[in-house]
Amino acid sequence: MHLLYFDPGLGAMIIQAVVAAVAGVILFSKGLMYKIKTLLGFSKNREEDIFDDIEIKDQDTETKL
Amino acid sequence: MIDNSKHASSFRDPSGYIFTEEGVIKRAIFPIYFKQYNALTTSGFFDSLFKNKLLIPHREITKTEDKIVIQPENIPFITYPYEWSFNMYKEAALLTLKLQKYSLEKGFSLKDATAFNVTFHDGKAVFIDTLSFDFYQENTPWRAYKQFITHFLGPLVLAHYHGAQSLKLMSNFIDGIPIKMLASMLPFKTKMNPFLYANIHLLAKFEDKHNEDYKGESKASALSKKGQLNIIQSLYDYIKKLTLKEHSEWGNYYDKTNYSTDAFVEKSTIIDTWIENVQAKTLIDVGGNDGTFVRKINSELKQALVCDIDNNAVDFNYKAIKENKESFITPFVLNVLNPSAAIGFQNKERDSFINRMKDFAPDVTLALAVIHHMSLSGNVTFEMSAQFFASFSKYLVIEFPKRNDSWVQRLLSSKVDFKDHFDWYTLENFESAYAIYFEVLEKKPITNSERVMYLLKPKHVK
Repeated sequence: MHLLYFDPGLGAMIIQAVVAAVAGVILFSKGLMYKIKTLLGFSKNREEDIFDDIEIKDQDTETKL
Repeated sequence: MIDNSKHASSFRDPSGYIFTEEGVIKRAIFPIYFKQYNALTTSGFFDSLFKNKLLIPHREITKTEDKIVIQPENIPFITYPYEWSFNMYKEAALLTLKLQKYSLEKGFSLKDATAFNVTFHDGKAVFIDTLSFDFYQENTPWRAYKQFITHFLGPLVLAHYHGAQSLKLMSNFIDGIPIKMLASMLPFKTKMNPFLYANIHLLAKFEDKHNEDYKGESKASALSKKGQLNIIQSLYDYIKKLTLKEHSEWGNYYDKTNYSTDAFVEKSTIIDTWIENVQAKTLIDVGGNDGTFVRKINSELKQALVCDIDNNAVDFNYKAIKENKESFITPFVLNVLNPSAAIGFQNKERDSFINRMKDFAPDVTLALAVIHHMSLSGNVTFEMSAQFFASFSKYLVIEFPKRNDSWVQRLLSSKVDFKDHFDWYTLENFESAYAIYFEVLEKKPITNSERVMYLLKPKHVK
């Protein structure tokens, strides 16, 4: 940790477990809602988006294409 | 080794530094970072990011026991966070999160998350700080989390509630918007939103509480990788959906102008011919709206900068770049009456617009339908604007709307009693003031309009 050249904020380092828990609940409920909507046939095709998904393709998957 | 060309912004991270050698940007890496650098290189981590165009590619120049030197691909013009439109800013934020998620999966972690680690190149956001990746240590929280909030989430949420102008705050807060100020600026209802409450309000509260812990008694809590991935994913989902509340349509601008279709076509033909005649490869369109005129240029351009004061126009241009997959246009938000200043330590960390323009040295500057705004809205005299344009242009294509032009009339009438003070706004005065700095190569009135086009060459350029 000797490379810490900016202040990460102690509060922020402590709070992350709480933030992660909240994020977990949000993601879980979103996933659940999505499943319910799909089951009931409410799910719409997602709009054309200018931003990609968060996933990054690995180098080898890329070369296989 | 002391290197006088060491870049002024390159002092914070002790892993290495950026320097310029014969005009080429290079990066030196110190032994303290060798382990990380070698792991990132041999594992194919860097290669994968290069192939996905997420990190600026570099090649290794020299490798000795005490220094590795790499040369990143050249970026002709660096834009800063306070010059991005809302969606550009979003893309930069999402890129940072994407990189952090990928890093975690590969056993690394971003050790910082400043918005200045990102710029726009080849039509998209790209990460430019190669030394930002460090080894991930099991169960440790993300050290750059707060930095991400103050550099990305904070400004974006402020822009959502208060308009895209809020992004300009970053030009003062080079280390991010202070978390307490951020929390205080958000409407009360954001406290009811679990996501914003946890990431901003609760964070502000905790920062306050632990600021007084001088003895260092508090310990950072452990956080599983899964927990950290949850944070990253929820930040990604939230930011991806974030929109501006203000009117975000653009595109009917040219319907509102006072041009007939013929005059519009004639104007773009004149520009196209002149660009071809002077064999321009690089240009800047000052007040370029959504890039309409740059797209009408037929000759092949290497790099076109298109800036405008209007966030929506720049955003519209940015979306067009994405849709058309154009790589030669770099859009950015700029107020020509108050261009970005040099900021940071010794005012040298981030360069001013003027200095970056001098380095970029565009073959042509386009100043279409801006002179009346500069003169009448900004009270900038012809001599001042001529001096400004002459300071960085090899050629200048400028459009002058005469006094009878309806836009000029509108601007003049908004001056009410002060109207008479603008008697100097005439074609003759314009020509004589610009003649001090420029030689007129061509002059063409646009048929059926009150506008005249000029191709000018600064007198000091041989």
